[in-house]
Amino acid sequence: MGLVALGAALAIGLAAIGPGIGQGIAASKALEGMARQPEAAGILRTNMILAFAFMESLSIYGLVIAFLLFAKI
Amino acid sequence: MTKSMMESLGQYGITDGMVTSLVITILLTVFAIIAGRRIESIPGRLQNVVELSVGKLYGFFEGIMGKHLCRQYFPIVATIFIYILLCNYSGLLPASGVLPGLKAPTSSLNCTAAMAVFVFFMTTIVGLRANRGPRYFKHLFKPFAFLFPLMLIEMFVRPLSLSMRLYGNVFGEETVTEQFFHMVPIGLPVVMQLLSVLMGLVQALVFSLLTAIYFTEAGELEEGEELEAHA
Repeated sequence: MGLVALGAALAIGLAAIGPGIGQGIAASKALEGMARQPEAAGILRTNMILAFAFMESLSIYGLVIAFLLFAKI
Repeated sequence: MTKSMMESLGQYGITDGMVTSLVITILLTVFAIIAGRRIESIPGRLQNVVELSVGKLYGFFEGIMGKHLCRQYFPIVATIFIYILLCNYSGLLPASGVLPGLKAPTSSLNCTAAMAVFVFFMTTIVGLRANRGPRYFKHLFKPFAFLFPLMLIEMFVRPLSLSMRLYGNVFGEETVTEQFFHMVPIGLPVVMQLLSVLMGLVQALVFSLLTAIYFTEAGELEEGEELEAHA
């Protein structure tokens, strides 16, 4: 039981690292682009949200696994 | 809805989320009927609001799907957007999740998976219609034939990731709010709820945006075939 709890915590904890870094890089670049070219802000924002969705889904998979493990405790 | 009513419904497999989603559907339908009953050339207050919001949505999706496809499939995509938005926000109502028969439908995998499967089949239908038949499946062998297994996997992973993304986000957000409520009952949950107003909008946008992109990808014609198809 203790190991399952540890596994659940690790699943979401590790799954949050990569997307966190990735989204940070993507957001910084997109904001840079928006600051340089405010007229392209709309299309940049849409694409940024889209890219976020793909990155976030990785983290969500970890979350789902964590919930599955959590139900086993 | 009382608790005993919900329990007796539960025997037939009817969950809280289903009741909420049914109520949302009925509300949307009634609203649409009222708003569309008397359309005048000089719009009233309600017609103005609805026209403006639908117009904005149309402009947004037109930018992604292009003129032709957007005309055809805007109703589906916009319905998905509005429905998910309301489903997400129904989780923000007071006593949601505690009151029997009131729970965000999107916080259950059943609801999101149903929508994702619908999008999966609809994407295929869009592709078949745009390419006039089974020629659509040729895209699985592009750009190289040996990538076929990979393309097949990608095709089937789409509904999985669509449903998991929405379910995980909404369910996770609700769980976190609940845990915060147990830790610090005053203040902290409100901050989380404000965040989830944004999250609900973004997730509804992401789901419908991805749907629109899948439709566009399936619906656009191959170069050179365009002339033949329109001839």
